Amino acid sequence: MVTTPSFPSEPPDVVSLESNVEARFETAVSVSQRRGEDISIVVRRAAALPALCKFLFGDTGCSFGGLIVEERKEDWHLLYLFHLPGTGWIHVTLQLPLENSTVPSISPQVHAADWYEREAEDLFGLRFEEHPRLGDFILHDQVWQEGLAPMRRAFDPGQVHLERCPNQEWRPNLVVKDPGAFAMPVGPVYEGGLGESIHFLLETVGEDVIRASPRLFYKYRAVEKIAEGKAVSDGLLLAERFAAKSAFAHSLAYCQAVEKATHLEVPVRARRLRVVLSELERLRHHAGAIEAICQSTALNVSEAQAAIIEEQLLRASCCFTGHRYLFGLNAPGGLRRDFDGPACQALLAAVEAALARLRRLEHRLRYTSSFLDRLEDVGVVTAEAARDLDLLGPVGRASGLANDLRRVWPYAGYRESAFEVACEKEGDGYARLRVLFFEAQQSGRLIHQAIEALQPGEVWAEGQRMVPGPTLGWAEAPIGATVHWLRLDEDGRIDRYRILSPSFRNWLGFHVAVENFAFQDFPIILATFGLSATECDR
Amino acid sequence: MTAWIAGALLLFFVFCATGLVLSSLGGSRYAAIVIGWQGALCSVMLMLAAVFRLMGAQDFDLALWTLNGWGSLSLHLDALSAVFLFTAGLVYLSCSFFVPDYLLHYFRNRYPAGRYGVLHFALMATVVLVLVAGDALTFLLSWECMSILCYLLVNYEEAQQTDSSAGYIMLAMSEAGFLAIVVAFLVVAGNATGISFTALRAASGDLSRPAVWGVFALGLFGFGVKAGLVPVNFWLPRCYTASPPAFIPVLAGVTLNLGLYGIVRLNGDLVPGHDIGTGLVALIVGSITALVGILYATTENDLKTMLAHSSIENAGIIVAGFGAFLAFRNSGNAAPAAIALTAALYHMANHSVYKALLYQGTGHIEAATGTRDMDRLGGLIRLLPALSVVFLVGCLAISAVPPFNGFVSEWLILQTFLRSAILSSGLVKIVFALCGAILALTAALAVTCFVKTYAMSFLGIRRGTWKVNKALPARKWRFSLMILAVSCLLLGVLPTYVIPVLDGAVQPLAGTSATAALVPPFFTATPQNQQLPPAFLQDFHNLGAQTGAGAVPGRGLVILLRGSEQNPVVFAMSPSYSIIALAILLFLAWIVVGRWTRRRTVEKRELWAGGIPRLLPEMSYTATGFSNPVRVVFQAIFRPNIIEDTRATVGVHFRTAIRRRRDETHLVDRLFFHPVGDVVGWIARSLAAMHHGNLNAYVSYSLGFLLLILFLYRLA
Amino acid sequence: MASWFWYGLRNGIQSTRYPQAPELAPGVSPGRPLDTLFPDAAEAARAAANCPVNAITAVASFANVDFRKCIYCQRCHFGAPDQLHWDSSFEWTQAHSTPGGYQPLPGEFSHSLHVIVVDAGDCGACLNEVKQLNNPLYNMHRLGIFFTPTPRAADVLLVVGPVSENMRGPLVKTYEAMPDPKRVVAVGTCAITGGVFGRTFVSAGGLGSVLPVDLEVPGDPPPPLAVLHGLLAVTGRKQPAPAADNFHKGSL
Repeated sequence: MVTTPSFPSEPPDVVSLESNVEARFETAVSVSQRRGEDISIVVRRAAALPALCKFLFGDTGCSFGGLIVEERKEDWHLLYLFHLPGTGWIHVTLQLPLENSTVPSISPQVHAADWYEREAEDLFGLRFEEHPRLGDFILHDQVWQEGLAPMRRAFDPGQVHLERCPNQEWRPNLVVKDPGAFAMPVGPVYEGGLGESIHFLLETVGEDVIRASPRLFYKYRAVEKIAEGKAVSDGLLLAERFAAKSAFAHSLAYCQAVEKATHLEVPVRARRLRVVLSELERLRHHAGAIEAICQSTALNVSEAQAAIIEEQLLRASCCFTGHRYLFGLNAPGGLRRDFDGPACQALLAAVEAALARLRRLEHRLRYTSSFLDRLEDVGVVTAEAARDLDLLGPVGRASGLANDLRRVWPYAGYRESAFEVACEKEGDGYARLRVLFFEAQQSGRLIHQAIEALQPGEVWAEGQRMVPGPTLGWAEAPIGATVHWLRLDEDGRIDRYRILSPSFRNWLGFHVAVENFAFQDFPIILATFGLSATECDR
Repeated sequence: MTAWIAGALLLFFVFCATGLVLSSLGGSRYAAIVIGWQGALCSVMLMLAAVFRLMGAQDFDLALWTLNGWGSLSLHLDALSAVFLFTAGLVYLSCSFFVPDYLLHYFRNRYPAGRYGVLHFALMATVVLVLVAGDALTFLLSWECMSILCYLLVNYEEAQQTDSSAGYIMLAMSEAGFLAIVVAFLVVAGNATGISFTALRAASGDLSRPAVWGVFALGLFGFGVKAGLVPVNFWLPRCYTASPPAFIPVLAGVTLNLGLYGIVRLNGDLVPGHDIGTGLVALIVGSITALVGILYATTENDLKTMLAHSSIENAGIIVAGFGAFLAFRNSGNAAPAAIALTAALYHMANHSVYKALLYQGTGHIEAATGTRDMDRLGGLIRLLPALSVVFLVGCLAISAVPPFNGFVSEWLILQTFLRSAILSSGLVKIVFALCGAILALTAALAVTCFVKTYAMSFLGIRRGTWKVNKALPARKWRFSLMILAVSCLLLGVLPTYVIPVLDGAVQPLAGTSATAALVPPFFTATPQNQQLPPAFLQDFHNLGAQTGAGAVPGRGLVILLRGSEQNPVVFAMSPSYSIIALAILLFLAWIVVGRWTRRRTVEKRELWAGGIPRLLPEMSYTATGFSNPVRVVFQAIFRPNIIEDTRATVGVHFRTAIRRRRDETHLVDRLFFHPVGDVVGWIARSLAAMHHGNLNAYVSYSLGFLLLILFLYRLA
Repeated sequence: MASWFWYGLRNGIQSTRYPQAPELAPGVSPGRPLDTLFPDAAEAARAAANCPVNAITAVASFANVDFRKCIYCQRCHFGAPDQLHWDSSFEWTQAHSTPGGYQPLPGEFSHSLHVIVVDAGDCGACLNEVKQLNNPLYNMHRLGIFFTPTPRAADVLLVVGPVSENMRGPLVKTYEAMPDPKRVVAVGTCAITGGVFGRTFVSAGGLGSVLPVDLEVPGDPPPPLAVLHGLLAVTGRKQPAPAADNFHKGSL
């Protein structure tokens, strides 16, 4: 049963959080509040960092946003983003001199930070003490040599003839140490390439797969590095195109970050149209995810029906906006084009037709026991595990974490919209499927509301001068919450661009779901997670 | 003919004695040459003696000296002994080429080959004595000597052994079995006039029913120790694994047969009885032995231990066939009884040949790579190509794949189970059906087991870090393997010639001729033949059953069983024709593919593994993984104790190691050995309560015992 | 379970009739920019300057488009002055420049073509469009084209993405594992010219520097019918445009 979660009636007190932190950590940190919403905590003593993060994540119930590492002129800036629903963003910053690149690791306390620290170690060369496993993460040891640190300022991304001394004796790090155990390799080219390039090692002693370890970052294109020095408009092109199936959501987060930096008020019509386009993308993405689940269970007719729905939505997107994946629509300040009444009505009709087909499909699937048998109790992520790893999006919602940025921090036109947030408790494949269907229906509802509420007006507002400095924008992408963080310099160019993508976080949850399962359930669990390697790899 | 048999046996004993003496003199190299040549001569003499007996159809009797009050010790070579003798000779012949070089190159100068030679020839002599013994005392004495010599040979590499108790357990079990055999012979000889087998056979008719059952049980389990029957076979896997690779082909190919010989001789020849129940008991014991053996073989990773369990399985099949023989004979159906005994003896011969082959192959593998663990082998087909061909022949033979010998004997065994439909009692038929199902399951598991063995050892990529030892001499060893491989093929392709030879042993025991029941005279039939009506002959003539009638000797090349009047079905097979057809088809395929289709260029490129840089050994299937489904399905039998040890650094999230240890106690140990040991221990502890050190109590023990004796004497 | 069968049948045949008949349904293709004649050179130059990837070059008052570089930023489509003309076609497969021109696969392959798709750093859109070829609306099986998971059975290697460095090794291994005859098709702007990712230390900037390319299907992403056109061109059922041709002059 899909239920609407109940939010606490009183938002936690900002003041109480500040005073709690100050009381606990006294001189190690200094707390201040800025911009009316965000809290800034500067950590003066690095050793207090793990305890502070554990307090925020575990005791106060904050959600971990991500780790942003910057190499400034004289020192390292490490920004640990947390957020408390109803309060604001909590920026925990730590500054270290450049020659000291050792940081205490917070991963033992905040498990969700595991991969962020590994990424920082691979790309910046920082050492995180007490992190159990560093190395061979983004830059594969079989291809790259140690110590490259490509995200450092001194590294030129354009050097195409890099000396490579790969490690020929590389062996995977296998966890199951039974003498008869072996690891079945899958990928990176498998399923005819219709699956993304990921390498899995399924460790087994014959029957059940005891543990599956995915090896990602085969698609690493250093988006954050090549964005440095680009103009804001060129950075927008990158934001759209690094994960094209959520292109509009990422471009929206990027534009909202820039709009914050220019103190822009986006026109009402543009906000509502942004809701229409975001939900259109979400609806199409979920249709594709449902098709992938049906394909993994080999229920061919339902796969075909879901594929028809996805293709029809792609065509509807193309008729409405001129591009099937909604490229080139967002700009800082609003939208680059307007849509007239008949076009909106045509879109609405197409969406209604798609929703009707989805309802019929859902109804039929609900009564196909052979299909449900393959999804129920398969790939379970318990509520504790979900909270421990702070999972996002439909995966988190299927395990009881009802976090949705559209509800918690409404952006664009979501303030005026009424919709329900899906929430399931079981955390298995069927729960994730139900969440997808529910959210698809809610997307339809949101599109309907937004189109009905459209008033004539401008769709774009001119920006004032850009204020250099850091800025943050967010959106609820189809896979989960995404945060784009920018630091702009005086010329209005990008000094540092950081993408915190939901797939990067949710792949951790995949590890938990794939333990002790039968080998034939593996594609099903993969499909129900619906994760994107390109969004994770950037 | 008997003179020739006498001559052959005499020469055998002479060569044995000289070999024994010569190998104790001189150095290791000299002893190895003696073992090789003298041993080969001895084996040839054995085979000649057996052939003369089987061709001549006249028993050989030789009375040795007479003992006062006991009777005369004698030797008696009849057809049954001849069959076993021939098999032993064949295995010994092959081992004569295998053992010497193995001793020299594998043992180097660690153990003197002379000592091995002495034991080797002594064992050969005692084995032959057991087989040609004509009276109980000779039999028992040579059996005991054989047990002790086996123990000495098993413990030959005493410094090398990881499990030094294995030989000791074997000796203890052999003695226990020997005790049982002695008691059995005593019971039989209680009413007899002398100790010779003829006297015992005559006296067995007067035995009461419980006595017959007693003799049967004691014989089955006493000889079953050597043969490897459940529940007295728990010594076998340990011991086979611990014995030196030079000895084990003999252990598995010759001494195991002695146990079977004992069962057939005592329970089939001397004291057959009239109860169908004895046959059923042997049937059930054999089937269960077969199933337990193959289950543990399939899940075992060590080559030698796996082959040991497989030997248990094959012994079980033979005893099951023997049980069917007893059941059919004691219920009055002589023809099915003949078929059953033929199947059992055929399987015995086949097993010796392919088991010796596989064990020699395993010895090679161990000498070449230094490991026997299937999880660590792999890729040997490229490194040892000749061995892989011969080992494949052995695996195919043991998996009962035509055209090799395992197929024929397996087919015959299963056919006897199908014949059980003619029995009258419903309960008996149910037992036959269940045991037949168990044997069918066993056959399927045997295929699994040997597919796993061959695939994991020879195919795929190398999983361990060993390197092939190139300094091994290849030629002579190939010869020993070739003898056995060619025998596998011939025994499989010419069954219609083997069956008349076995018939010499079967006919006296079963009452009718197996040849008459199994090999119809397609080549020699006249129109007046009652056995085969002309219409039937014509049908088979149209199928080609008389092809080769003029050129090929014998009755025909088809094995055929006909059903009864109510159920007139015909079961027929002919490996001889099959292999010709197979050869023709392969030749045609070669012509079609090679000559008539377009020339294609074949390029060899790198292995495709999904795009990873190279396929590491830890990514390829292991033997444990291959047999895991069997472990899971039969979990109730294995009852493993799984201890999971998860090493985690920080919470559940960071796992560094997951270790799973399986502790398994063998089923027989669990159900039989440990409870018996517990009971014995309990008895010992209770009796130990008597030893409290109190002198007065000890004196009262003596008094009490004296009173008891007087009381009993009064009563009697 | 049986009701699925009837449900599928009731939905009827929805496949496009392409290539027997042109596909005119709205939304099947985003179209592409065409060479446009502007009133004067200054406007043409402004239109050329608008393009963030320098796909438009102004020659007098002509604005010529190199579609192989186009990333569909839509700046020359709407929302700004100096817009180019766009059409709604999708048959824009082009042969890569090789001496002697493009040699299609022999006739045996024309109705039995096996394709292996390798994702070499693709953003997800091109891969999704290629996947759509399996759905009932396009149904490439009726044309005898199949996806295969193993390169040993493949005739065509279809690559999407700018060839990230970590995928270079697997991609080359896939190519070498394919038996002859084989063809390589680069699908998407990223696979042809590197797209927005360009040529960096982690991105090869297109397939041309890694493998010998036979056909190119530009677009970001190219719609499924464009990919289908490309696959049909592999066996010669459709004609690709010749290499480096400044095609589609016209539409004045």
